[in-house]
Amino acid sequence: MLKRLGCRSTQMDASQREQYQAAIHGDREAFEMIIRTHSRTLFAIAYGILQNREEAEDVVQDALVKAWKTRWRVRDPEKFPAWLATIARHRAHDLLRRRRTIPLPAETIQISETEAIDSPALDQQLHSALATLPELHRAALTLRYFEEMDYRTIENTLGLTNGALRGILGRALASMRKRLRLALTSTD
Amino acid sequence: MATIHNEIDNWLAANLHGDLSDAEQDALHAHLVECAGCRRAHQETKSMNKILEETLAQEKPDSAFEQRMLAGFRKRFPHRSGFIKLFVDVMRLHSAQITAVAAVLLGLVQLGRMITSEGVTPVPGRGEYTRAQFAEQRLQAAAPRPAQAGVLARSAEADAGRSQNLALPEPPPPALPAAEAKDKTESIAQAERTIVTGSDIPSAEEVAPKPAETPAPEVANRKLIRNATVELEIVSFDDAVQKITALANEERGYVATTESQKQANGKLRGQVIVKVLPENLDRFLQKIHGLGELKNRTLGTEDVTKAYFDTDARLKNAHVMEQRLIDMLKTKTGKVSDLLQVEKELGRVREEIEKMQGELKYWDSQVQFATVTISLAEKDMEEPAAFLLKERSQLALYAPDVEKIYGDIKALASEKVQITNAQLNRDYSGRISATMSMLIAPEESDSVVSRIKGFGRVENFQTQSERIAQGGTGMSENAKTKRDKVELNITISREEQEQAFQQTSLRIRTSSVDEKAKELGGVVEKQGGRVRNSTFNRDPDGREFANVSIRVPMKNYLALMQSLNALGKVENVSVQRQDRTGTQIDEANAPADVSIQIYSHGNIVSHDSGLLATLRRTLAQSAGAIMWSLRMIGVAIAFLAPWVIALIAIVWIAKRLIRARRKL
Repeated sequence: MLKRLGCRSTQMDASQREQYQAAIHGDREAFEMIIRTHSRTLFAIAYGILQNREEAEDVVQDALVKAWKTRWRVRDPEKFPAWLATIARHRAHDLLRRRRTIPLPAETIQISETEAIDSPALDQQLHSALATLPELHRAALTLRYFEEMDYRTIENTLGLTNGALRGILGRALASMRKRLRLALTSTD
Repeated sequence: MATIHNEIDNWLAANLHGDLSDAEQDALHAHLVECAGCRRAHQETKSMNKILEETLAQEKPDSAFEQRMLAGFRKRFPHRSGFIKLFVDVMRLHSAQITAVAAVLLGLVQLGRMITSEGVTPVPGRGEYTRAQFAEQRLQAAAPRPAQAGVLARSAEADAGRSQNLALPEPPPPALPAAEAKDKTESIAQAERTIVTGSDIPSAEEVAPKPAETPAPEVANRKLIRNATVELEIVSFDDAVQKITALANEERGYVATTESQKQANGKLRGQVIVKVLPENLDRFLQKIHGLGELKNRTLGTEDVTKAYFDTDARLKNAHVMEQRLIDMLKTKTGKVSDLLQVEKELGRVREEIEKMQGELKYWDSQVQFATVTISLAEKDMEEPAAFLLKERSQLALYAPDVEKIYGDIKALASEKVQITNAQLNRDYSGRISATMSMLIAPEESDSVVSRIKGFGRVENFQTQSERIAQGGTGMSENAKTKRDKVELNITISREEQEQAFQQTSLRIRTSSVDEKAKELGGVVEKQGGRVRNSTFNRDPDGREFANVSIRVPMKNYLALMQSLNALGKVENVSVQRQDRTGTQIDEANAPADVSIQIYSHGNIVSHDSGLLATLRRTLAQSAGAIMWSLRMIGVAIAFLAPWVIALIAIVWIAKRLIRARRKL
């Protein structure tokens, strides 16, 4: 069973690998294909860190541009997706750091306030609960709930060891559930 | 089940996300049935999951997200135009990359050559280039001849035609008819010659021999002088001369001159000149060859026809002139001075007539008879006449008093003993040596040499005799041998300087070193030797050493060695003898050196052994080792530090740059 799986995965890898290799060597079409298949994953990661859609989208865009510029740095084509994810993570972090230091313009605050008023309390609570989670946990959650990825793919994307995701997602969910216990009971 | 309970959060999450296998699901369900707490958690987790799904679904990027990303990317990196795209596509190939790198390298090398102005490598068109240059040179060569303007113009024309032809391949195209091609090449050759010589003079090839035209010489009227030279080696000179005379008579000739010389070794060498009729010359030469061994032969013919008839014509003219002058004198008209002038002229003409007549006569005689010059030499011409026996001797003496012997030898000088060179040397350390050379009459030599030998101890005597051939080379059975003066070279040195014939070293172990050393002195004295050198030491461990070096004559050597046994235990005997080949040595009196070390055992434990000494030494060595390793570490740091510092600086600068860019 395992062996068969392995076989299939290597076969899949072969074509994937070719695509990554072509992209590294400057094949635009291959890179655009990668944008199509991977940008949502990158978005999930960025969103996990920033919790802001616009910013996350900007980060993905930036990360893709940077990846195209510095594609020659990747030696092993198999590590291409993980490398993309790393770039997105770093960009998101940079942005987060800047957000902390530069005070938000008044407009933005206002908008967020109005949003907060309009949206139900549960939603706000959920967001704040999410904000308290470690970054890795958030990324795992977003990958799972945005893209409905299976555990193995998430582990690969985030560069985790096999089976580590169960613990992460378990703890994330438990933490969320404890924070939102009151709200949960009310909904039930 | 304890594990499920403990990790219930993980299990529940995995369950909701569909990551559990069937067996795991069963196990979880079983646990949930049992455990109420976990059931509650299960419920909560389920609703949590639902909320998350609902909430985050709103945050999910919309369907146009990928398109936006692509558009953004394309905006940043617009598609390249066709040519650049093609170029980039080609450059993606490995072979293209390698070719490009090679081309760049080649370009760099060429650039380097251009910069260093090195010779340009030959280009394929070089042949044509040089040919063109050649044409140019010829033009220049033709230019400085203005006198032949017409020719020049023609040559310039021809040259132009030629250089046009040069552009074509060398052999004319095969399509042309053969005759035409030949014409063309000929005309080219003609043109070329015109250019080179600058005139229309035909070249040597064209004037080349035309043998048929030259008429055959008229042998009958010709005046030919024939002569021959022959070199012969014969057994007896006189016999040969007689035979030659007989042969000459046979051939109606005669012996003109005979000449002979006697050599120092009694052999004869000479020359015979024979005149024979020219028509008999060949036969005569054939006969002569039988007389002895032919070494050399030349046969020559000189044609004097032209000179002869010229002289003859001039003679006739001179006769006519003479007759006229005589007529003038006979008529006796004119002044006296004129007559004197005529007389003088007549004298000159007559002298000329006589000279010419003599010349003609000489030629006549030469032509009438052929001259054969025969050089004769008797066999073994080079045999030596006598031998001189030269004797050269060398004598090396050792004596206690060099100056005295030097004086004694000088006193030997007489008429028959001539001293040619005498030298007494004293060097900076006071050592005296003398060298002398003398010539001794042969009859005295043996007695003088033996007397000189008696003055001191002979270290070396060498005699060399040489037989020198006189008046020739090689061997001779009947040549006499004469003894020459004997040359004798003497060197006198002091005995101390003499090298020992045999060297021995040994050790004697004894309990009382000092006493035995004194005893040794007595023993040496008894054996006719002497102590040259002695030292005495006592080391910190109480050991005593006495080093004594002695010299005895070889004949007493064995007796000395035996008597040494009485002094103590003899150890480590080593004997060294230098074989001096080619020298005559008086072995019985030759000196033998013996160096003896007399020693005693000292204390049993020395200062530099034992526990304390070992400890001390170990400490000293380890301290040395530590110092050494410290030094090595210092060297290593000095070796690496600049690089490490430079590396750190580079990394730091790079980091700063990256951070600065990110902030932007």
